[in-house]
Amino acid sequence: MQDTNISQNNFEQCLKCSLCTTVCPMMAANPHYPGPKQAGPDGERYRLKDPGFYDLTLKYCLNCKRCEVACPSGVRVGDIIQASRLKYGRLSRPLRDITLASTDFVGSLAVPFAPIVNGALSLPIVKIAMDAILKVDRHRTFPSYSRRKFTDIFEKDLPSQEGYKRYVSYFHGCYVNYNYPQLGVDFVTLMNACGYGVRLLDREKCCGVALISNGLGKQASENAAVNMASMRKALDGGSEAVLTSSSTCTFTMRDEYDHLLGIPNEDIRPHLMLAVKFIYDRIESGQISLAFKEMPGRLAYHTPCHMQKLGWTVYSTELLKMIPGLDLQILPQECCGISGTFGFKKENYPYSQKIGAKLFEAIRDSGAAAVITDCETCKWQIEMSSGYRVYNPITVLLNALDLEKTKMLNAE
Amino acid sequence: MKFDIIIIGGGLAGATAGVELLKKGRKCCIVSEGLSLHHTPMDEYLALGGTLLPGDSVIVGIWEEHRLKAVLTRNLGNTPLEADTFLLCTGKFFSKGLKATMDSIVEPIFGADVEFDPCRDRWYDSDFHAPQPFERFGVKTDAEGRVLIAGAPCENLIAAGEILAGEIDIIKSAKDVCRTLI
Amino acid sequence: MKEYDVIIIGGGITGAGTARDCAMRGLRTLLIERHDLADGATGRNHGLLHSGARYAVTDRDSAAECIGENLILKKIAPTCVDDTGGFFITLPEDDLAYQSTFIESCRAAGIKAEAIDPVLALRMEPSLPHDITGAVKVPDASIDPFRLTTLNVLDASLHGAEILTYTEVTGFISSSGRILGVKLRDTRTGERFERRARITVNAAGIWGFRIAEMAGTRIAMFPAKGSLLIFGHRVSRMVINRCRKPANADILVPGDVVSVLGTTSTKIPFEECDGIRVTADEVNLLLEEGCRLVPALASTRVIRAYAGVRPLVASDDDPSGRSISRGIVLLDHETRDGIGGFITITGGKLTTYRLMAEMAADLVCRKIAVSKPCRTAERPLPGSEEHHVRHQNDSLGKKAAGNRFGLLTDKMDFASKSEVICECEHVTRAEIEYAVKFLDVHNMIDLRRRTRIGMGTCQGTFCMTRVATVLAETLGCPEKAPDFIREYVEERWKGCTPVCWGEGLREMEYMRKLYREK
Repeated sequence: MQDTNISQNNFEQCLKCSLCTTVCPMMAANPHYPGPKQAGPDGERYRLKDPGFYDLTLKYCLNCKRCEVACPSGVRVGDIIQASRLKYGRLSRPLRDITLASTDFVGSLAVPFAPIVNGALSLPIVKIAMDAILKVDRHRTFPSYSRRKFTDIFEKDLPSQEGYKRYVSYFHGCYVNYNYPQLGVDFVTLMNACGYGVRLLDREKCCGVALISNGLGKQASENAAVNMASMRKALDGGSEAVLTSSSTCTFTMRDEYDHLLGIPNEDIRPHLMLAVKFIYDRIESGQISLAFKEMPGRLAYHTPCHMQKLGWTVYSTELLKMIPGLDLQILPQECCGISGTFGFKKENYPYSQKIGAKLFEAIRDSGAAAVITDCETCKWQIEMSSGYRVYNPITVLLNALDLEKTKMLNAE
Repeated sequence: MKFDIIIIGGGLAGATAGVELLKKGRKCCIVSEGLSLHHTPMDEYLALGGTLLPGDSVIVGIWEEHRLKAVLTRNLGNTPLEADTFLLCTGKFFSKGLKATMDSIVEPIFGADVEFDPCRDRWYDSDFHAPQPFERFGVKTDAEGRVLIAGAPCENLIAAGEILAGEIDIIKSAKDVCRTLI
Repeated sequence: MKEYDVIIIGGGITGAGTARDCAMRGLRTLLIERHDLADGATGRNHGLLHSGARYAVTDRDSAAECIGENLILKKIAPTCVDDTGGFFITLPEDDLAYQSTFIESCRAAGIKAEAIDPVLALRMEPSLPHDITGAVKVPDASIDPFRLTTLNVLDASLHGAEILTYTEVTGFISSSGRILGVKLRDTRTGERFERRARITVNAAGIWGFRIAEMAGTRIAMFPAKGSLLIFGHRVSRMVINRCRKPANADILVPGDVVSVLGTTSTKIPFEECDGIRVTADEVNLLLEEGCRLVPALASTRVIRAYAGVRPLVASDDDPSGRSISRGIVLLDHETRDGIGGFITITGGKLTTYRLMAEMAADLVCRKIAVSKPCRTAERPLPGSEEHHVRHQNDSLGKKAAGNRFGLLTDKMDFASKSEVICECEHVTRAEIEYAVKFLDVHNMIDLRRRTRIGMGTCQGTFCMTRVATVLAETLGCPEKAPDFIREYVEERWKGCTPVCWGEGLREMEYMRKLYREK
């Protein structure tokens, strides 16, 4: 009796030490936000008595999960807040929020008209109109849409994926599919060089992180069900793992699906991971070998908040450290401020930029030529706000490889 | 993932030990549930190039007889963390180095032997300002600081800081342990 | 020297209610309390607004009294009452046949009791054990005794009563077998003084024994200690009872944002009434029985243990003490003992305090030939005059204060003092300053009884320093903040130590690190 303490998201284990509050990026920037402790475990006790105690300031939570990383008690502070938002929150601007969150829908529409869409989204008059009508901040630059979807390029342009001894499946995500298929191409090239064939999932939908944070839990759950079914099928069909190239998609599908949407995934979770973890583990066990060229230069690595929550920074950094000549500056972990669709909204934009300021300054001070990070929204934010180019570790690794030699090593 | 020394617990003892060991050229990794409260030693540790796994906790040890070969953590899944030596710096109850049930005190990671009073009424003193018996509970070690499990010392698992029984000077405890290691 | 119509000894709910009733009838009233309001049994009970169902089988009259008062309090004190409803559940090891006796007795006493199918009951109250064989719904509710006492006293003072806390009765002024007044001592300054009244009322609960002794008579009282546990959050929606003959640990009450499990019963000698402590055996017993009632309690954090002393009184026609009255005991010492100007009101329960007060006030009025009717059942307590509307956009602190104080929230300065001071319970500076200015607060323990500071899961660990600072500044004595902290942490420690395992022990370690002085 009393050996275990069970409360939803461990809210009862909170000792009120307030460590979460000291690391919350929003608290430092916004005096209206009561902080993770108050919004989370404190507020939860009152919301259990009466949902009328739900406080509107919970909308400021970035869902960065830094509070959870900091908690010495194992309280899932971020989950408590997000779960509450899903249960009691309301959309502040339904049209805008649904549009920003529906990446599959918007992406599918935009890609066929990419040049027009990209052109329009960079026109000042369009940005001002979006600012005034939709309340999407006009300072925000949009990632450009690709003329072709990654899935199309994979089918038609990439070398055949037949004949490999081993296979992995690739969850490409919205960013690779609609905006930047080159990253997907880099991933396939890298995995092929490592001796793995790549398969796409039968059916893939947006991981749903933006749907969750905008309160569209039902639609997120539908997407989750599709993704989980596809992954099960892929793993049953012989893929060793389902790999990803985006830290937020990975985190969402591994943790948020279960914690926030109540969708069980224990069978899939151990086999769903970022490519960097998969590759690192197999280098350690001798199944993959990488041969490098010299790549001298200084690059700065930024840990996305969700990467820190996953605890997997070390996989990216250890792989990057293998590159001969590379001077890798690991930046102290700071939130970039964008928090997905959060930073696009006019009312949040000033907080977004204030939060990221420390990171942008650290990048400038690092003397690096460019930045490496695993999250595409961090990439957008850093490129827009600091002017530095940002690359995914997969791309950097690939560019540092002696491709032919690597293929030979892994063919044995 | 291999290091010379893995330090379990990133509080004052763990971070202090990490700094001492890095200065002597050892490759270290600290696994810390939460982010360290003690910024000065931890900042120095990171500046010296130490590896930190924040927001992670050790789940289980992989043993060969009385020798700890590796540990598995919650976040790293099946990537074992290997080292020649492991330091246990997990602190007392607040930092979950020790756990109290209604009738016993346990060390939750390795099940190490713990020094405590079997009667719960004697865990505390009714006078708030008096020293509290529970503040003196801790894991049992041999004369070299090696943690005892079922009475037998673990070859390469050494305790430092508040995880130890008795009245502890945390920084001194961490530095003493480092001295014996180097 | 000023003379009062009535002096009431005891600032528990009985004394507070009597002061309100007397003041509302226009009597010049003085209320004396040796510590702070609701410090005795009033502040240490279950917080249960009985429907009377628990007594229906064995004491129909008590039960009928309870349901009458239950409905009145729901009407006049909605900010103190959480109308949760209650279940009396039957488990496989209980006798299901008892249920029909139970329901019949309830109905005969005027208590609405409805048998509910176990499957439906589980849907209404998911925290129930899955193997219940029966459930009866009754109008039990949860009530906050601190707020109830505070608001009665506030109403009394609004009607002209004077209140003296931290003032103890050291003796009586008497002449020719008649009590003329009381000898008093301010416990903080040591100052001694006297006050006179036409009638003195002994409403001092278990300490009424000593008061009666000082007046020259004896009342047979049997202190019975009861221990309770507080769990960290609201585990059940409704009050949950066992449908069987009353026994230990068979009631769980959802009290605001905690759950209270009780209780035990142990006779103790008078000397032990002050400074009682919850024992490890009592804690273990409460948990074992409680988990049968609500299984989730086995894995819910226990944040505090406390004990109170029931003032059980002998039925006066049996001075041997073998039969203990469950009902209200009103003693006119003039007819009983030849001591004029002195009455005692005791026994009863929290639920029937208003009726006790009415009986006492009626007797006082009869004895001084005042004929004013009792209006306490009709007039709402302060803050409940109209329904308090909560706005969605109000800050959480304002909503929490509204939940506690209703319309009195309008008197709190949320415009400039909205900082949250106690974060577990969302108590703002505005609420604290209001309590200090209008509700007779002298230290943090008093403040805790008026608001809810320090009653959350951390038991004050987080907010102690902030509360002490705000309190000391508002009282105009900023240098006293460390003393307030010391006093308060010692008081909180008493309730933490009996539950010193799991998260409780972690919190204790943290509390020690922050506030120890050596």
